[in-house]
Amino acid sequence: MTLDPVFMPLRELAGHVRARRVSPVELAETFLARLEKIGPRYNAVVTVTRERALAEARRAEEEIVAGRYRGPLHGIPYGAKDLLATGGGVPTTWGAGPFRGQRLAEDATVIRRLSAAGAVLCAKLAMIELAGGMGYRQPNASFTGPVTTPWSPEAWSGGSSSGSGAAVSAGLVPFAIGSETWGSILSPSGNCGITGLRPTYGRVSRHGAMALCWTLDKLGPMALTADDCGLVLEAIAGVDPADPTTSPRPYRYAAEDGPRRFRFGVLAGALDGVSEDMLAAYRRSLDVLRELGTVEDTALPDLPWEAAIRIILQAEAASAFDEFIESGGVAELTAPEDHFMPYARDAVLAKDYVKATRVRGVMAREADRLFERFDVLVAPGRLTVATPLGQEFRGGMRGTARDIMGAVGNGAGLPGLIVPNGFGERGLPTSLQLMGRAWEENTLLAVGRAVQARTDWHTKHPPVER
Amino acid sequence: MTDGEAAQAEVDALFALVTARYGARLDAQQLEGLHRAIEAIVDQARAVRAVRLVNTDEPTPAFRAHRRDEPAR
Repeated sequence: MTLDPVFMPLRELAGHVRARRVSPVELAETFLARLEKIGPRYNAVVTVTRERALAEARRAEEEIVAGRYRGPLHGIPYGAKDLLATGGGVPTTWGAGPFRGQRLAEDATVIRRLSAAGAVLCAKLAMIELAGGMGYRQPNASFTGPVTTPWSPEAWSGGSSSGSGAAVSAGLVPFAIGSETWGSILSPSGNCGITGLRPTYGRVSRHGAMALCWTLDKLGPMALTADDCGLVLEAIAGVDPADPTTSPRPYRYAAEDGPRRFRFGVLAGALDGVSEDMLAAYRRSLDVLRELGTVEDTALPDLPWEAAIRIILQAEAASAFDEFIESGGVAELTAPEDHFMPYARDAVLAKDYVKATRVRGVMAREADRLFERFDVLVAPGRLTVATPLGQEFRGGMRGTARDIMGAVGNGAGLPGLIVPNGFGERGLPTSLQLMGRAWEENTLLAVGRAVQARTDWHTKHPPVER
Repeated sequence: MTDGEAAQAEVDALFALVTARYGARLDAQQLEGLHRAIEAIVDQARAVRAVRLVNTDEPTPAFRAHRRDEPAR
């Protein structure tokens, strides 16, 4: 193979595949080798699906040679967070030791849709045990060990889609699928310096994905660019009878949006607790955003945004894992805090849970009202650059820091996009997050593309061999 | 009883409930952590309880009646 596919954006890679300058089998072999050789360096991989990948790649190759090109993901390797069910005897571990031998009967809907698009599953990627729903507070919370960001062997990849972030960042796969209940796509994307998209709740079927919190869980793409995320979202979005929360609203990625001006809003409280290096990068990003439109401060009504979502998350997670918790299985989890935190959820009273879901309805309406005046809300991607291994992290889900963007975005089910926007302390990536109105992923992606057309942070890659 | 005392009484009662169920599984350090976690839950619950709602503010997402042959929404 003469061209180098590592760190190549999907559209460009797809062009080479379609023109048969590179074969899907060659691509699969390249990325399988990287997953096997480089993946362990970051603890990023649970299972390399070599046999399945080569079978899918051979099929893609035959189809393309026969002139049956399916689209931009045809023959493209990818990795999936290990909470997505995969049939064929491939384990689905949920990142947790007690489930390391779990084999599920069939593929999750997202995996099936990617297969239908011709994509090639090369790996199940590491994650925080049970997607962080037991209350973990430091990076060492996976049975496969803490995942490190490829930017530093001493810093965390973020979680809970830890391996998805690290694998894309290190060029082990061209794109990956992650999941977010509260922060689990944005955190690893930010820590690893990649682009991640949290779709609107109901945009992507969760059938076959581990349930952490039925009313908050979302699946979405993690990739090198906003354009990549749009291409992947189009393949995985859409109604699914197996997931009654999916919407019949069709999704087509609008890759060629014409020029337009955007109205950006900055939420009061969105900068609380943000580190100086993240703020410096954010201010530089605001200069870029002012080239694209207006930037104004704004505020939401005084509601317990974070508290309501934490109540919902804790109650639903406790119920989702009720039998496991009751059995005492949590004692076998990796993070010491996961051994007792789940028991505390019995203190969430039923009336408080229901009230939180009613408050959530008010919150969703108030958030939507804001989007009459703004197209996109913007904020620093994270509070800080990647946390050092061995240290506790701060975050809204844990209640140790404010995270108004995370609470509003996940609570109201709104789409979010995170893009790299520089480097901060210890040479680690900084990031910018964007949040849009429900079902307006294309608006976020248009802004993401415009930002990435004016900056080159998404083209910077960690020091890893090609 | 002051507001703070009421909150503390609630924490104590809920901690007693949880430890009655699971206390035997936990050591002293874990019980301390459990107590802090319950304090946080009570703080969150009290913040949510303080919101004024009207009768028609429904939970989200709303429950839907089920029919096997109902087409997907």
